[in-house]
Amino acid sequence: MPRPGLRRLRSPRVWGPAGAVLVAGAVTAVTLTAGARPAAPAPADGLPHTTVEVSPGDCGRGWDHPRPGLQVFDLRNSSSRGAEVYLRGAHGGPVHGEVEGIGPGTTRSLRVRLGPGAYAFTCLPDDANAVTGPVVRVAGGGPGGPAAAPVTQHDLIGPALDYQTWVAGGLADLVRRTAVLRAAVAAGDLPAARTAWLSAHLGYERLGAAYGAFGDADRTINGTTAGLAGGVHDPAFTGFHRVEYGLWHGEPAAGLRGPATALADAVRALRDGWAQARMDPAALGLRAHEILENTAQAELTGRTDYGSGSNLATARANLDGTRAVLARLRPLLTTRYPGLSDLDGALDRTAHLLDGFRHDGRWPPLGTLRRADRERANAAVGDLVERLASVATLCDPRRTV
Amino acid sequence: MNDGRRERTGGSGGSGGGTAGDRRSGVARRGFLRGAALAGAGLAAGGAAAPARPPYAGPGPQPALPGTAAAPVPFHGPHQAAILTPPRRVTAFTAFDVTAESRRDLAELLRTLTARARFLTGGGVPEPLGITGPPADSGILGARLPGGALAVTVGVGASLFDDRFGLCARAPRRLTAMPAFPDDDLQPAWCHGDLSLQLCADDTDTVLHALRDLTRHTRGGLQVRWRLDGFASPPRPTGTPRNLFGFKDGTGNPDPGSARAMRDLVWVGTGTGEPDWAVGGSYQAVRLIRMLVEFWDRVSLTEQERMVGRARESGAPLDGDDEFDTPDYPGDPKGDVIPLDSHIRKADPRTPGTAGQRLLRRAYNYDRGTDSNGNLDMGLLFCCYQQDLARQFETVQRRLAGEPLTDYVTPFGGGYFFALPGVRDETDWYGRALLAQ
Repeated sequence: MPRPGLRRLRSPRVWGPAGAVLVAGAVTAVTLTAGARPAAPAPADGLPHTTVEVSPGDCGRGWDHPRPGLQVFDLRNSSSRGAEVYLRGAHGGPVHGEVEGIGPGTTRSLRVRLGPGAYAFTCLPDDANAVTGPVVRVAGGGPGGPAAAPVTQHDLIGPALDYQTWVAGGLADLVRRTAVLRAAVAAGDLPAARTAWLSAHLGYERLGAAYGAFGDADRTINGTTAGLAGGVHDPAFTGFHRVEYGLWHGEPAAGLRGPATALADAVRALRDGWAQARMDPAALGLRAHEILENTAQAELTGRTDYGSGSNLATARANLDGTRAVLARLRPLLTTRYPGLSDLDGALDRTAHLLDGFRHDGRWPPLGTLRRADRERANAAVGDLVERLASVATLCDPRRTV
Repeated sequence: MNDGRRERTGGSGGSGGGTAGDRRSGVARRGFLRGAALAGAGLAAGGAAAPARPPYAGPGPQPALPGTAAAPVPFHGPHQAAILTPPRRVTAFTAFDVTAESRRDLAELLRTLTARARFLTGGGVPEPLGITGPPADSGILGARLPGGALAVTVGVGASLFDDRFGLCARAPRRLTAMPAFPDDDLQPAWCHGDLSLQLCADDTDTVLHALRDLTRHTRGGLQVRWRLDGFASPPRPTGTPRNLFGFKDGTGNPDPGSARAMRDLVWVGTGTGEPDWAVGGSYQAVRLIRMLVEFWDRVSLTEQERMVGRARESGAPLDGDDEFDTPDYPGDPKGDVIPLDSHIRKADPRTPGTAGQRLLRRAYNYDRGTDSNGNLDMGLLFCCYQQDLARQFETVQRRLAGEPLTDYVTPFGGGYFFALPGVRDETDWYGRALLAQ
């Protein structure tokens, strides 16, 4: 499922409609609760519950009997606007839990395991400054659950600009590569065109164009036949895979000139547009995760193979693309992600594994791999996406003011 | 066939020999009847007998007691508990290949698998991860996982004992790759595996929740090789549940409540030549058997019953009135009533010499859509446990070779596994003794 970066942005514009829905739900919830409450029934989860106020004036009120261990805070937004809530270590400590988009009048629950220490709720009303509630001390009990310092939008601006610059360089290179492809097709030199195609396509895949990172341009440049009634003969089938299909299905060079030229033009347009665009910093963590999700779904299944048999090469390029994102996030992750060195090890092992499939400079088509090798590739990438999922949640930008 | 198959594999095993046979299995029978009686009472009394769940009887000889789910089987013990507990309503049987790269990684993998299985079977609230990761749980069972709703059984295949992990010398002595039997049409993609995982529960969501959790936590070390889901039917109307050929299937299992029978037939014990670590385990034979149900439905009832050796409606042997009547083979030496090549007669000739060939069947029905020509793809997810594959499963299987029923079934997959000894306590894990240096 594509997760456009925009959806994750915390602008009121985005949260508005969701808030409205929540309000409607809240009325029902309150009614039900009121009806069922007199006997104070035990919550279905069997955990201790504490109701806490979420409002600019009363942020965190109600947490009167602190206790350690696994528990639930029922966060009641008694204000007139939506809010999000973090439970943090006192005085700007790490975030132990969060609930976003609590609509006015709504109660949402936050499950957390607390160890001994000092904590405070931070309430972040939409369009208003953050308010921190009273510090509460928890004594006794075992260790708490995992927590991490929030990454702010500001933290991500530098990495995003740096990444954007890196992508710009890659796009400039890609313009050259697609020009070589176009020239080879124009010259009718199909063997050279096939070589140039792979070089150009891997150049694009290395940029990590997963799940709409390049918007509509990606559809034009790297779309498949999905959703096209005419399949590989559909006029809307364009870009790398259209050219691939022709190059590996005996299509005459004349028929490929149009698609190869259109591809080169689209890549140039992307490069030109990229210089003007400002990448959403919130997308960086998602990219780190989703490039390889796309690999698992589209490459390791062979879905995107239109004849070149280069899925493994693409997977390898995607791995480089993931590393390029991680390199920019690394300073933020070192203190926040205890699994980082394991992730690095897994990335190295996967790179080594994929490289091992290549013989004499050629990548075997996916279907020719031995079953055990294919399982190893699936396991390696599967393991990576499990680990990278945490990078996305940790690098989701959070407000601190 | 199914009856067939079940009988086939062990089915008729119920009788210890001769006349005492079925009747004596009395213990088993009594267990069965108790279950059936309760289920019946539950139905009659509007379900009063069942605390939380509707009464349900599994397909085995001793149907699940009503409310089984309310009395969780302890996860820890000398044996994996789900081997003996009655089949649940649904199952997912998954064979994995191990992609862990070292013995240490394999040990880590098995520790993880154990920890997750312990949690998933015991129930509880998943540990929240805060902002450090996506939700710890898929959420499909709600905030708190129920205890006792799930059963997990883990086995290892012969391929795990190749040169990857230095385990060659530690293989269970009687573990091989499943051979192709003469009537098989095995598809390699549906055979074998380094590790078997069977999840059983009374609700599909419970099984799928566990499968997602376990695969999620072992993603780098295990890859699914094949998976077949199954279900167990309720009794129709009473007695042993029916297979998809319409026959009551599984009338004569040995009694899981008899420690002696289990010791003699199911568990690997000391002094059997097996490595010490294997004591408490059991050999698991899994057979994926397509039933050609359209063809079967075009066969006359008489012919069906003569192939099976039982009456379809009652489940009685053809020389009896009741499902649990013992067939009298000595009184029918030429097979005039129960044909000599009928399934139940071939599967268990009920002689003193065949008593040790009995095995414990834990079969489910399966349904996986349609095949390329539109025929229904359904059949039997056969699974059985025994002490010795050659003495038990393979002997019965060989005797069944060429039986008339083979025209109506196609075994297409499966494998041999060794169900590991139980996880003894909080510090133990699947295969700890196997991997100990």
